[in-house]
Amino acid sequence: MKLLTCPVNGTRPLSEFIFGGEYRQAPEQNSCTDAEWAAYVHNRHGAPGDKKEWWYHSPSGTWFIAERNTLTDKVSSTYLLSQKNLNEEKAAQEAGK
Amino acid sequence: MQALNESLNAKKDSKTALKTTPVAHAYIKTTAKWAIVNEMEIAVEFASNDIEQTRKKVLGITDVSCFERYGIKGPQASKWLADHELAIPSNPNSWALSNQKDLVLRLGSSEFLIEDQLDDVASKKLADITRVEGLYPVVRADAAFILSGSEVLNLFSELCSLDLRDSSLLANDVVMTQVAGISAIVMRQNLNGEQVYRLWCDGTYGSYMWEMLLEVAVELGGGAVGLSSYKN
Repeated sequence: MKLLTCPVNGTRPLSEFIFGGEYRQAPEQNSCTDAEWAAYVHNRHGAPGDKKEWWYHSPSGTWFIAERNTLTDKVSSTYLLSQKNLNEEKAAQEAGK
Repeated sequence: MQALNESLNAKKDSKTALKTTPVAHAYIKTTAKWAIVNEMEIAVEFASNDIEQTRKKVLGITDVSCFERYGIKGPQASKWLADHELAIPSNPNSWALSNQKDLVLRLGSSEFLIEDQLDDVASKKLADITRVEGLYPVVRADAAFILSGSEVLNLFSELCSLDLRDSSLLANDVVMTQVAGISAIVMRQNLNGEQVYRLWCDGTYGSYMWEMLLEVAVELGGGAVGLSSYKN
Protein backbone atom coordinates (compact mmCIF):
# COMPACT_ATOMS: atom_id res chain seq x y z
CA MET A 1 0.00 0.00 0.00
CA LYS A 2 1.36 3.41 -0.94
CA LEU A 3 1.29 5.96 1.83
CA LEU A 4 1.35 9.74 1.92
CA THR A 5 1.62 12.01 4.94
CA CYS A 6 -0.98 14.73 5.33
CA PRO A 7 0.50 17.57 7.42
CA VAL A 8 -2.70 17.75 9.47
CA ASN A 9 -4.01 14.18 9.65
CA GLY A 10 -0.85 12.10 9.48
CA THR A 11 0.19 9.17 7.30
CA ARG A 12 -2.67 7.66 5.30
CA PRO A 13 -3.11 5.32 2.34
CA LEU A 14 -2.80 7.02 -1.04
CA SER A 15 -6.42 6.14 -1.81
CA GLU A 16 -7.48 8.92 0.59
CA PHE A 17 -5.71 11.55 -1.53
CA ILE A 18 -6.38 13.30 -4.82
CA PHE A 19 -3.63 14.78 -6.97
CA GLY A 20 -4.15 18.48 -7.64
CA GLY A 21 -1.45 19.26 -10.21
CA GLU A 22 1.91 20.96 -10.01
CA TYR A 23 2.22 23.95 -7.72
CA ARG A 24 3.26 26.91 -9.86
CA GLN A 25 3.66 30.54 -8.97
CA ALA A 26 1.57 32.72 -11.29
CA PRO A 27 3.36 35.69 -12.86
CA GLU A 28 2.23 39.14 -11.76
CA GLN A 29 -0.76 39.53 -14.08
CA ASN A 30 -0.68 43.36 -14.23
CA SER A 31 2.95 43.62 -15.26
CA CYS A 32 3.87 40.39 -17.06
CA THR A 33 4.03 40.12 -20.85
CA ASP A 34 1.43 38.26 -22.90
CA ALA A 35 4.04 35.61 -23.67
CA GLU A 36 4.76 35.05 -19.97
CA TRP A 37 1.05 34.74 -19.18
CA ALA A 38 0.43 32.41 -22.12
CA ALA A 39 3.34 30.24 -21.00
CA TYR A 40 1.88 30.07 -17.50
CA VAL A 41 -1.57 29.13 -18.77
CA HIS A 42 -0.64 26.67 -21.51
CA ASN A 43 2.78 25.18 -20.81
CA ARG A 44 3.73 22.51 -18.31
CA HIS A 45 7.16 21.34 -17.28
CA GLY A 46 6.90 17.61 -18.02
CA ALA A 47 10.48 16.47 -17.41
CA PRO A 48 10.76 14.13 -14.41
CA GLY A 49 12.48 15.50 -11.33
CA ASP A 50 11.78 17.28 -8.04
CA LYS A 51 8.37 18.95 -8.19
CA LYS A 52 6.08 20.78 -5.81
CA GLU A 53 2.55 19.46 -6.16
CA TRP A 54 -0.91 20.13 -4.77
CA TRP A 55 -2.47 17.16 -3.00
CA TYR A 56 -5.90 16.93 -1.35
CA HIS A 57 -6.82 14.77 1.63
CA SER A 58 -10.45 14.12 0.77
CA PRO A 59 -11.87 12.90 4.14
CA SER A 60 -10.78 16.09 5.89
CA GLY A 61 -10.78 18.54 2.95
CA THR A 62 -7.14 19.49 3.44
CA TRP A 63 -5.12 20.93 0.53
CA PHE A 64 -1.37 20.80 1.00
CA ILE A 65 1.93 20.82 -0.88
CA ALA A 66 4.00 17.67 -1.42
CA GLU A 67 7.55 17.90 -2.70
CA ARG A 68 7.93 14.77 -4.83
CA ASN A 69 10.48 13.43 -7.24
CA THR A 70 8.38 12.38 -10.22
CA LEU A 71 11.11 10.04 -11.47
CA THR A 72 11.57 8.02 -8.27
CA ASP A 73 8.11 8.81 -6.79
CA LYS A 74 9.82 9.65 -3.52
CA VAL A 75 8.08 12.32 -1.42
CA SER A 76 10.63 14.38 0.49
CA SER A 77 8.23 16.61 2.46
CA THR A 78 4.62 17.68 2.80
CA TYR A 79 3.35 20.92 4.33
CA LEU A 80 0.49 23.40 4.25
CA LEU A 81 0.98 26.35 1.92
CA SER A 82 0.60 28.69 4.91
CA GLN A 83 3.48 26.84 6.61
CA LYS A 84 5.61 27.36 3.51
CA ASN A 85 4.92 31.11 3.53
CA LEU A 86 5.73 31.30 7.25
CA ASN A 87 8.95 29.34 6.76
CA GLU A 88 9.98 31.58 3.87
CA GLU A 89 9.26 34.75 5.87
CA LYS A 90 11.25 33.37 8.79
CA ALA A 91 14.17 32.44 6.52
CA ALA A 92 14.08 35.90 4.90
CA GLN A 93 14.11 37.58 8.32
CA GLU A 94 17.06 35.47 9.46
CA ALA A 95 18.93 36.20 6.22
CA GLY A 96 18.33 39.94 6.72
CA LYS A 97 19.85 39.96 10.22
CA MET B 1 -39.55 4.51 -6.36
CA GLN B 2 -43.31 4.97 -5.90
CA ALA B 3 -43.59 1.56 -4.22
CA LEU B 4 -40.72 2.47 -1.92
CA ASN B 5 -42.32 5.76 -0.92
CA GLU B 6 -45.67 4.05 -0.29
CA SER B 7 -43.93 1.50 1.88
CA LEU B 8 -42.14 4.22 3.84
CA ASN B 9 -45.38 6.16 4.28
CA ALA B 10 -47.11 3.06 5.58
CA LYS B 11 -44.55 2.79 8.37
CA LYS B 12 -44.95 6.37 9.53
CA ASP B 13 -46.43 7.27 12.90
CA SER B 14 -49.41 9.52 13.14
CA LYS B 15 -47.07 12.34 14.29
CA THR B 16 -45.58 14.44 11.52
CA ALA B 17 -41.96 13.75 10.69
CA LEU B 18 -40.08 16.60 9.03
CA LYS B 19 -37.34 14.29 7.76
CA THR B 20 -36.46 10.65 7.42
CA THR B 21 -33.20 9.05 8.41
CA PRO B 22 -30.69 8.92 5.52
CA VAL B 23 -30.49 5.18 6.19
CA ALA B 24 -34.19 4.69 5.45
CA HIS B 25 -33.73 3.00 2.09
CA ALA B 26 -31.67 0.27 3.75
CA TYR B 27 -34.21 -0.20 6.55
CA ILE B 28 -36.93 -0.99 4.08
CA LYS B 29 -35.64 -4.56 3.91
CA THR B 30 -36.12 -5.07 7.64
CA THR B 31 -39.13 -5.34 9.93
CA ALA B 32 -38.04 -2.55 12.22
CA LYS B 33 -40.26 -0.59 14.59
CA TRP B 34 -40.22 3.06 13.60
CA ALA B 35 -40.63 6.18 15.69
CA ILE B 36 -40.15 9.92 15.34
CA VAL B 37 -37.15 11.24 17.27
CA ASN B 38 -36.12 14.89 16.99
CA GLU B 39 -38.59 15.25 14.10
CA MET B 40 -36.79 12.48 12.22
CA GLU B 41 -38.41 9.19 11.36
CA ILE B 42 -36.03 6.45 12.40
CA ALA B 43 -36.02 2.75 13.29
CA VAL B 44 -35.83 2.28 17.06
CA GLU B 45 -36.20 -1.50 17.38
CA PHE B 46 -34.99 -4.27 15.11
CA ALA B 47 -35.54 -7.26 17.38
CA SER B 48 -36.50 -8.14 20.94
CA ASN B 49 -34.59 -6.43 23.73
CA ASP B 50 -32.74 -9.66 24.63
CA ILE B 51 -31.53 -10.15 21.07
CA GLU B 52 -30.47 -6.52 20.73
CA GLN B 53 -28.58 -6.60 24.05
CA THR B 54 -26.73 -9.71 22.87
CA ARG B 55 -25.89 -8.01 19.56
CA LYS B 56 -24.66 -4.92 21.42
CA LYS B 57 -22.17 -7.03 23.35
CA VAL B 58 -20.82 -8.70 20.22
CA LEU B 59 -21.20 -6.10 17.48
CA GLY B 60 -24.15 -3.74 17.41
CA ILE B 61 -24.79 -1.17 14.68
CA THR B 62 -27.15 1.65 15.64
CA ASP B 63 -28.39 4.46 13.43
CA VAL B 64 -28.30 7.72 15.39
CA SER B 65 -28.72 10.12 12.50
CA CYS B 66 -31.59 11.66 14.47
CA PHE B 67 -29.25 13.24 17.03
CA GLU B 68 -29.37 16.99 16.58
CA ARG B 69 -26.09 18.32 15.22
CA TYR B 70 -24.82 21.65 14.11
CA GLY B 71 -21.65 22.80 12.37
CA ILE B 72 -19.88 26.14 12.66
CA LYS B 73 -16.71 27.52 11.16
CA GLY B 74 -14.89 30.83 10.87
CA PRO B 75 -12.45 33.00 12.81
CA GLN B 76 -15.03 33.65 15.56
CA ALA B 77 -15.98 29.99 16.03
CA SER B 78 -13.86 29.36 19.15
CA LYS B 79 -15.02 32.58 20.79
CA TRP B 80 -18.64 31.75 19.99
CA LEU B 81 -18.30 28.35 21.63
CA ALA B 82 -16.69 29.91 24.69
CA ASP B 83 -19.48 32.51 24.91
CA HIS B 84 -22.03 29.70 24.95
CA GLU B 85 -20.06 27.83 27.62
CA LEU B 86 -19.35 24.91 25.34
CA ALA B 87 -16.10 23.00 25.72
CA ILE B 88 -13.45 23.77 23.09
CA PRO B 89 -11.24 20.81 22.15
CA SER B 90 -7.65 21.99 22.41
CA ASN B 91 -6.38 20.68 19.06
CA PRO B 92 -7.81 20.00 15.60
CA ASN B 93 -8.90 16.37 15.24
CA SER B 94 -9.97 16.06 18.86
CA TRP B 95 -13.26 16.16 20.75
CA ALA B 96 -14.63 17.17 24.13
CA LEU B 97 -17.84 16.57 26.03
CA SER B 98 -19.63 19.67 27.23
CA ASN B 99 -22.03 19.57 30.18
CA GLN B 100 -21.98 15.76 29.92
CA LYS B 101 -24.34 15.88 26.95
CA ASP B 102 -23.00 17.96 24.07
CA LEU B 103 -20.32 16.43 21.92
CA VAL B 104 -17.98 19.04 20.41
CA LEU B 105 -15.68 17.83 17.63
CA ARG B 106 -12.90 20.08 16.38
CA LEU B 107 -12.58 19.27 12.68
CA GLY B 108 -9.98 21.94 11.90
CA SER B 109 -8.38 24.98 13.47
CA SER B 110 -11.64 26.94 13.11
CA GLU B 111 -14.32 24.35 12.30
CA PHE B 112 -16.47 22.51 14.83
CA LEU B 113 -19.28 19.97 14.89
CA ILE B 114 -21.63 20.05 17.87
CA GLU B 115 -23.90 17.08 18.45
CA ASP B 116 -26.49 16.50 21.15
CA GLN B 117 -26.51 13.16 22.88
CA LEU B 118 -29.81 11.30 23.15
CA ASP B 119 -32.51 13.66 24.45
CA ASP B 120 -30.56 16.92 24.62
CA VAL B 121 -31.57 19.81 22.33
CA ALA B 122 -28.81 22.35 23.02
CA SER B 123 -27.38 22.43 19.49
CA LYS B 124 -30.83 23.01 18.03
CA LYS B 125 -31.30 26.03 20.26
CA LEU B 126 -27.83 27.33 19.38
CA ALA B 127 -28.51 26.91 15.68
CA ASP B 128 -31.46 29.27 15.93
CA ILE B 129 -29.42 32.16 17.30
CA THR B 130 -26.28 32.07 15.17
CA ARG B 131 -26.00 35.43 13.43
CA VAL B 132 -22.47 36.61 14.15
CA GLU B 133 -19.87 38.19 11.89
CA GLY B 134 -16.96 35.84 11.27
CA LEU B 135 -19.06 32.80 12.17
CA TYR B 136 -20.55 30.63 9.47
CA PRO B 137 -23.06 27.82 9.96
CA VAL B 138 -22.26 24.52 8.30
CA VAL B 139 -25.32 22.53 7.32
CA ARG B 140 -24.89 18.95 8.53
CA ALA B 141 -26.82 16.14 6.88
CA ASP B 142 -24.77 13.25 8.21
CA ALA B 143 -25.65 9.64 8.60
CA ALA B 144 -24.42 8.85 12.12
CA PHE B 145 -23.85 5.49 13.77
CA ILE B 146 -22.88 3.91 17.07
CA LEU B 147 -20.77 0.76 16.81
CA SER B 148 -20.48 -1.30 19.97
CA GLY B 149 -19.25 -4.67 21.15
CA SER B 150 -16.21 -6.87 21.45
CA GLU B 151 -15.85 -7.43 17.67
CA VAL B 152 -15.93 -3.79 16.62
CA LEU B 153 -12.20 -3.62 15.89
CA ASN B 154 -12.49 -6.67 13.65
CA LEU B 155 -15.16 -4.81 11.70
CA PHE B 156 -12.89 -1.80 11.29
CA SER B 157 -10.01 -4.01 10.21
CA GLU B 158 -12.19 -5.11 7.28
CA LEU B 159 -13.51 -1.68 6.30
CA CYS B 160 -10.86 0.86 7.36
CA SER B 161 -7.12 0.95 6.73
CA LEU B 162 -6.28 2.74 9.99
CA ASP B 163 -5.37 1.10 13.28
CA LEU B 164 -8.14 2.18 15.66
CA ARG B 165 -7.05 0.25 18.74
CA ASP B 166 -6.83 2.10 22.04
CA SER B 167 -3.06 2.44 21.71
CA SER B 168 -3.37 4.24 18.35
CA LEU B 169 -6.65 6.11 18.66
CA LEU B 170 -6.37 8.13 21.85
CA ALA B 171 -9.45 8.73 23.99
CA ASN B 172 -10.13 12.23 22.62
CA ASP B 173 -8.89 11.75 19.06
CA VAL B 174 -11.09 12.42 16.05
CA VAL B 175 -10.03 10.66 12.86
CA MET B 176 -11.10 11.73 9.40
CA THR B 177 -10.48 8.79 7.11
CA GLN B 178 -12.27 6.44 4.74
CA VAL B 179 -14.53 3.62 5.89
CA ALA B 180 -15.76 1.24 3.21
CA GLY B 181 -14.29 3.66 0.68
CA ILE B 182 -16.35 6.60 1.96
CA SER B 183 -15.00 9.68 3.73
CA ALA B 184 -15.98 9.39 7.37
CA ILE B 185 -15.31 10.77 10.83
CA VAL B 186 -14.52 8.20 13.52
CA MET B 187 -13.99 8.55 17.26
CA ARG B 188 -14.21 6.48 20.42
CA GLN B 189 -16.61 7.40 23.19
CA ASN B 190 -17.87 6.14 26.52
CA LEU B 191 -21.66 5.97 26.35
CA ASN B 192 -23.63 4.86 29.42
CA GLY B 193 -20.47 3.28 30.80
CA GLU B 194 -19.83 1.33 27.63
CA GLN B 195 -17.00 2.01 25.19
CA VAL B 196 -18.38 2.51 21.69
CA TYR B 197 -17.16 3.89 18.40
CA ARG B 198 -18.96 6.71 16.64
CA LEU B 199 -19.03 7.12 12.89
CA TRP B 200 -20.35 9.93 10.69
CA CYS B 201 -20.49 10.03 6.92
CA ASP B 202 -22.33 12.09 4.32
CA GLY B 203 -26.02 11.33 4.48
CA THR B 204 -26.25 10.42 0.81
CA TYR B 205 -24.03 7.42 1.58
CA GLY B 206 -26.12 6.47 4.62
CA SER B 207 -27.84 3.42 3.17
CA TYR B 208 -24.63 2.15 1.58
CA MET B 209 -22.70 2.57 4.83
CA TRP B 210 -25.45 0.85 6.84
CA GLU B 211 -25.48 -2.13 4.48
CA MET B 212 -21.69 -2.43 4.57
CA LEU B 213 -21.53 -2.20 8.36
CA LEU B 214 -24.41 -4.60 8.82
CA GLU B 215 -23.01 -7.16 6.39
CA VAL B 216 -19.76 -7.37 8.33
CA ALA B 217 -21.56 -7.22 11.68
CA VAL B 218 -23.76 -10.20 10.82
CA GLU B 219 -20.70 -12.18 9.69
CA LEU B 220 -19.10 -11.50 13.05
CA GLY B 221 -22.17 -12.50 15.07
CA GLY B 222 -23.73 -9.08 15.63
CA GLY B 223 -26.44 -7.09 13.92
CA ALA B 224 -28.70 -4.07 13.92
CA VAL B 225 -29.54 -2.48 17.25
CA GLY B 226 -32.31 0.07 17.66
CA LEU B 227 -31.91 3.44 19.31
CA SER B 228 -34.30 2.31 22.08
CA SER B 229 -31.65 0.07 23.56
CA TYR B 230 -29.55 3.17 24.37
CA LYS B 231 -32.46 4.93 26.00
CA ASN B 232 -33.16 2.19 28.52
